[in-house]
Amino acid sequence: MITQMHVRGLLFDPYNNAYIVILRDENNTDMLPIWVGKAEASAISFALEHITPPRPMTHDLMKAILDNVDAKVLSAVVTDLRENTYYAKIHLWYGDSEYSIDARPSDAIALALRTDAPIFTTEEVLQKQNSEELERWLENLKPEDFGKFET
Amino acid sequence: MDPASELIPLKVHGVLVDPNTDTQIVILRDEQHMDVLPIWVGTAEGTSIRLALEGIVPPRPMSHDLLTSFTEHLGMKVTRVVVTDVKNNTYYATIHLFAHGVERTVDSRPSDAIALALRTKSPIYVTQDVLKRRNADNLDAWLAKLDPQEFGKSETT
Repeated sequence: MITQMHVRGLLFDPYNNAYIVILRDENNTDMLPIWVGKAEASAISFALEHITPPRPMTHDLMKAILDNVDAKVLSAVVTDLRENTYYAKIHLWYGDSEYSIDARPSDAIALALRTDAPIFTTEEVLQKQNSEELERWLENLKPEDFGKFET
Repeated sequence: MDPASELIPLKVHGVLVDPNTDTQIVILRDEQHMDVLPIWVGTAEGTSIRLALEGIVPPRPMSHDLLTSFTEHLGMKVTRVVVTDVKNNTYYATIHLFAHGVERTVDSRPSDAIALALRTKSPIYVTQDVLKRRNADNLDAWLAKLDPQEFGKSETT
């Protein structure tokens, strides 16, 4: 069972000096918070805000190389959660074959947003992720922290 | 061939951390060690280049490992990367890819091109023209102030 997820926002976590990408399903019932580094957060934020930087950033280059050979990003799938690390796969269509490539969710999401490809996750990952910790963390957040990167 | 567009092969000599700013400096040198081309890059790109130089494979693929994985899966070969231009202190690069009988070129920042070249063991070139127009004056002053121990840290050979 897979569920389509949408990037709902990007929050800064001042305690860990990291960013959190918030993925939610269509009905806003399931949430997947994914902690990412600064560079990856900036790559995702540029795509969310439709900012085209003067020079291609790393994920723009990925897209340019795939476009150049007519390879199409079919989807990005968050496939697993093990020891607090999320795993993802990027599905590509090239020639007449499908390729499935191991990636960090941050790279997969940054590329999916640039190529208008859907993002999915599995029921298993949604069950595994324990959002209690995030909920506690969100309760401590000031309203002005939230919303800053929302789409 | 126009001498200005003649290509000079470069090796990545090391990556320096500029303690004063949020940037790193990739030091490229020609084989005779006559010329130095310093290129300022972001922290993420500098780190990625350093990992490749030191042959460190991180537990999860970093962005440039993913890029390399794309080229491998899709049967593309990175034949070379070339630092082609410098305008207003911004360097430009081109990645040359060979895929299914056709050579293609893709516009890139030098940091991404170098990070990809190191992972795919592809040669790095600069045009004679860019090398001439580079400004290493600031670098010399900067290097003079640097602790020599800090310099050796990321050297390859």
